Amino acid sequence: MGSLILLSEAAQAAETATQEAGLVSIDAWIVIATICNLFLQMFLIKKFLFKRVQVILDKRRELAEEDLRKARVSRDEAERLRTEYESNMEQAREKATQIIDLAQKNATQKSDEIIREASQEAVAMKARAEADIALERRKAVNEVKNEIGSMAMEIAGKVIEREVSEQDHAKLIDEFIEQVGT
Amino acid sequence: MEISISGAKVYGYIGPDIPVLGRFPLSETLIVSWIVMLAITLFCIIITHNMKVEKISRRQALAEWLVEVANKFVVGNMGSKFSYMVPFVAALFSLSLFSNLVGLLGVRSPTADLNTEAGWAIVVFIMITAQKIKAGGFGGYLIGFTKPIPLLTPFNVLSELSTPISMACRHFGNILSGIVINGLIYTALAGASSALFGLIPGAVGNLLSSIPILDVGIPAILSFYFDWFTGVMQAYIFCMLTTMYIANAAEEG
Repeated sequence: MGSLILLSEAAQAAETATQEAGLVSIDAWIVIATICNLFLQMFLIKKFLFKRVQVILDKRRELAEEDLRKARVSRDEAERLRTEYESNMEQAREKATQIIDLAQKNATQKSDEIIREASQEAVAMKARAEADIALERRKAVNEVKNEIGSMAMEIAGKVIEREVSEQDHAKLIDEFIEQVGT
Repeated sequence: MEISISGAKVYGYIGPDIPVLGRFPLSETLIVSWIVMLAITLFCIIITHNMKVEKISRRQALAEWLVEVANKFVVGNMGSKFSYMVPFVAALFSLSLFSNLVGLLGVRSPTADLNTEAGWAIVVFIMITAQKIKAGGFGGYLIGFTKPIPLLTPFNVLSELSTPISMACRHFGNILSGIVINGLIYTALAGASSALFGLIPGAVGNLLSSIPILDVGIPAILSFYFDWFTGVMQAYIFCMLTTMYIANAAEEG
């Protein structure tokens, strides 16, 4: 098969144990073995380099994704807490407003009540005072009436020189006073 | 003075004698290949050992960087639908690179044996053909050879076959040329050294001329180009062509 043999010692060396192939020669066995070697090497490199590195790269990517996922979860949690806090604050504000409103309403009610009571009392006091005044006046009028009656009787007694019976003329005097008084 | 550059050593033959193929040769190429594969696999195991998700070690950073670079290379050249090709291209690149550089340790590079590159190129060729058939159907694949005019069919077939051959020979030739030139330089410098120090008369001259003093240092500069630069470059080019050809094949039809 050898096409070019630089050294013709090959034939000579064939007698000894170690032979030398031609410098540029093809031996089908070695070609086949080389092809097998190539695929064996491919398998070995794949198994011991690419697969192993791929495993690590996959793990790293998984880890990164895991971290990302965790970050997303905690961000959602924080968002949730913030919303909760805000809603709590809103509720508290509403409650405070309610309390203030209630207090204001209570105060208004109370003041109204006080004012109403006071005015009622004032009205009552005024009415009582008026009643007292009226009573006093009637009493005074009666007194004056009596006084005038007795004075008139005295005057009349003195005028007619005789005792006019009080009972007889009380009616007369009353009529007189009625006429005068009105 | 004699320079001898020979093919890979064959330490013996094992197994039964199979027709056409013959017995299985236990060649230097295969043994060094297995050592290289072991080294690559151990390297992978070490850098991916005890990996963590956080606070990664430098080893792990290297492992992740390598995976990222391989992914970017394949997806960048072929598109994301070919991401299943990443381990294959990575295996191809690492085998090529480590095989090229293992020559620095004094053993014969597996890539200095055309059989190695031929094996890789055959696999790539099959993948290219499979993509073409997948894209245009088997009929479409065959019709593709008659375009643009049926007259060009033989040339199209030739051009199709030359793809794996050129890929294999480019890689092989670059690595072999490094070995050849290094051998030549070493031998030439040893001769020059012997001639130069032979000018010194007496026993001192005899002693010094027997030591290849000029071989120290100077070949290292050339070795940097032929072993390191070419070694990395050819591994890269082989993988680049592989991804390009396969991606182009999938776009055709």
